[in-house]
Amino acid sequence: MSILSVRQLHIMGKQNDIVKNLSLDVQEGEWFALVGQSGSGKSMTAMAICQLLAPNLQAKGEIWCGEKNLLTLSSSEIRKFRGKRLAYIFQDYQGSFTPFLTIGQHFDEYQRTHLNLSKKARRQQAVNALISVGLNEDIYGRYPFQLSGGQLQRVSISMALLLEPDILIADEPTTALDSVSSFKVLQLLSKLQKETGCAILFITHDLRHVRKYADRIAVMKDGAIIETGDKNRVLNHPQHAYTNELIQSSPSLRRIPFKLEGVSG
Amino acid sequence: MELVIKGKSKRRWRMTVLFTVMATILAVAAYTFLIVKHDPALVNLEERLWPASMEHPLGTDHLGRDVLTRLLLGAQLTVGYGLLSLFAAVIIGVPFGMIAGFKGGLIDRIFMRIADAFLAFPDTIVAIVLSGLLGPGIENLLLAIVLVKWVNYARLVRSTVITERQKEYVTVAKINGLSSFGIMRKHLFPHLIGNVLVLSSLDLGKIILLISSLSYIGLGAQPPAPEWGAMLNDARPYFQSNMLLMIYPGLAIVFVVLLTNMLGDYLRDAFDVKKEVGS
Amino acid sequence: MSLLDVRNVHKSYDNGVEILRNVNFSMERKECLGLVGESGCGKSTLARLILQIESFDKGSILFEGTELQNKSERSLKPYRKNIQAVLQNPASALNPKLRIKDSLMDPYLQFGSLVNLKYFTYRSEANFIGQLLETVELPRSFAERYPHELSGGQKQRVTIARAISIEPALIILDEPASSLDVLSQAAVLKLLGGLRETLDTSYLFISHDLSAVQEMSQRIMVMKGGVIVDSFEKERLFCSERHSYTKELISMFE
Repeated sequence: MSILSVRQLHIMGKQNDIVKNLSLDVQEGEWFALVGQSGSGKSMTAMAICQLLAPNLQAKGEIWCGEKNLLTLSSSEIRKFRGKRLAYIFQDYQGSFTPFLTIGQHFDEYQRTHLNLSKKARRQQAVNALISVGLNEDIYGRYPFQLSGGQLQRVSISMALLLEPDILIADEPTTALDSVSSFKVLQLLSKLQKETGCAILFITHDLRHVRKYADRIAVMKDGAIIETGDKNRVLNHPQHAYTNELIQSSPSLRRIPFKLEGVSG
Repeated sequence: MELVIKGKSKRRWRMTVLFTVMATILAVAAYTFLIVKHDPALVNLEERLWPASMEHPLGTDHLGRDVLTRLLLGAQLTVGYGLLSLFAAVIIGVPFGMIAGFKGGLIDRIFMRIADAFLAFPDTIVAIVLSGLLGPGIENLLLAIVLVKWVNYARLVRSTVITERQKEYVTVAKINGLSSFGIMRKHLFPHLIGNVLVLSSLDLGKIILLISSLSYIGLGAQPPAPEWGAMLNDARPYFQSNMLLMIYPGLAIVFVVLLTNMLGDYLRDAFDVKKEVGS
Repeated sequence: MSLLDVRNVHKSYDNGVEILRNVNFSMERKECLGLVGESGCGKSTLARLILQIESFDKGSILFEGTELQNKSERSLKPYRKNIQAVLQNPASALNPKLRIKDSLMDPYLQFGSLVNLKYFTYRSEANFIGQLLETVELPRSFAERYPHELSGGQKQRVTIARAISIEPALIILDEPASSLDVLSQAAVLKLLGGLRETLDTSYLFISHDLSAVQEMSQRIMVMKGGVIVDSFEKERLFCSERHSYTKELISMFE
């Protein structure tokens, strides 16, 4: 069953079309990767889904989540949607936190918008969430600048999944992290996805992120999707020359076939 | 797309007009001696308070001096003094801010304390007090203005420098062996020009008003200088009988200040547009 | 005599936290040495020490046999002409208020009289800039442009052109492709590889991306917590004698 269904989405700027006639479906519980280079329109698509587009941009088409067309909802209605049904993680982890509020205060704000819990219960819920992403309880009282990129991104994930949304939209969450943190964050997302059963719309420019975890892939170029399909099919038998180019350009470790002594792994 | 182009050329047209007018005023101020026929200081009590005529297009004042001549020379004084004090404030403030911002440390801390001291009071009050302390006279007034205004430029420059010096291109410049002075000159200076220009043009109007107002109360230009504020003051006793004597200099002040304000606004917008395009 | 000799270098922050501990390695001419580690492990600090924009607490760094001390600017100048850098952030690596050609001329204006150029020739400023841009596969017309008119990948090519303009013996590359998207990354790495062959320069290639390091380097060092934990020829990457942290990194990339 489709959790999220985008139909003929057009996003227009003042002078040009940023996204043209885009359609995609994300099934319940699946990890759907949207891959494209900078300028391809992938982030815009994600923002349009959450109604976070800049005011000078216009979106047309249909975005179905459940029985509601998200593009037709008022701002108060979409706010109810965000958090409970739809959650969002940004690439700019530093910017998605208010510098003078503690992590605990960030949680609080989020919880009070959507839930009706006592202060103690809120704190407990937040701490549990932090622990589930591998962070310590004392993170609750810290400020964003005291945490590393990887830690902040994990906090974002724990907050996003707090209300057990149906779908999590992750907009390049690991692009700004180093490979070790990035690896850990992806591992974490995969684990949480299996536990909560939510779907993930994962936006990236790097096919390496997709290789391990994605179920299906869509490749975007110049505002349109040029190829969609099961991950293995797309990576092993790409139908489009551009997809092939992307695959070839994603550097991966090459096993050098000589002088191997006791190969690891 | 069309609207954008229209806006642009409309703005450009307005700026051209502004510039032309300002340039004319400056030209007049600079070359008044070519135009005037009467001695602005010559007291001629027989010709006092004459109405407009061919000989005296704006009449004569209470001491028989040609009003138009004095008005034109006043442009020289008012605008000239304004530019002078502005220039001095910028010349002092900009290097100060650059060094404080770039070097940081003790120099910066000292600077900030000095700046805080100056900023504790509104500039008009300080200018008045300083003038009062130093005694009446235009030099003292200009000194007071410079003392008050330089801090704003220093602070503006300092904050720009602090922002930019952390950027990578400054590090690269250091790697390339540029000296601190070289970095300030080649890499930091271009960032300052826009901001300083905008601030100065907006400040010019304020400074002119300050000069006129303080001259009006006797603290600035002294008679017989035909500075507009002083002329206003001279004309006060004749307000009921010869209102025009106050209106002419008053209008002149309003006109020039309005002009500099508009210039400042347009400069600010022009630099903003560039920034928009830039991002 | 090695090109670069780093001996027992230590550095701590003012609050006592050690960033680099007992760092020891050397580099030869015309080689590419890779340095891999997580963010915060000290690799960028090491780069800054070698570039002498920060000073170290203990140990020594020798360039072509001459010891560098944490010295004043003037005495450093002759050293600086031999070593250039391409740093992480192309967005802020170019002065937004200067045209590309003005940014490109900086190294030559400082050191042009002190170096003997073999690959480039200086006949006029415009001609020189043209050569530089061509070498990094950018059109000559870019000379008149401003940084904001260029894409991330193009800006990075400009910083590379700036770094190679005085044909330094050593170029330090700190995450040169990390902020670019995959296609641009591949192109930039390919360009860098080709340039090293052409200009006979050495690279110290620093990155958190093990696969990029493997592609570019002949030897690889792995850094963790300010210490070099492993150092090997690239062919021996998959050997069992590798440090556990190296193996951990490998597993993340497969």
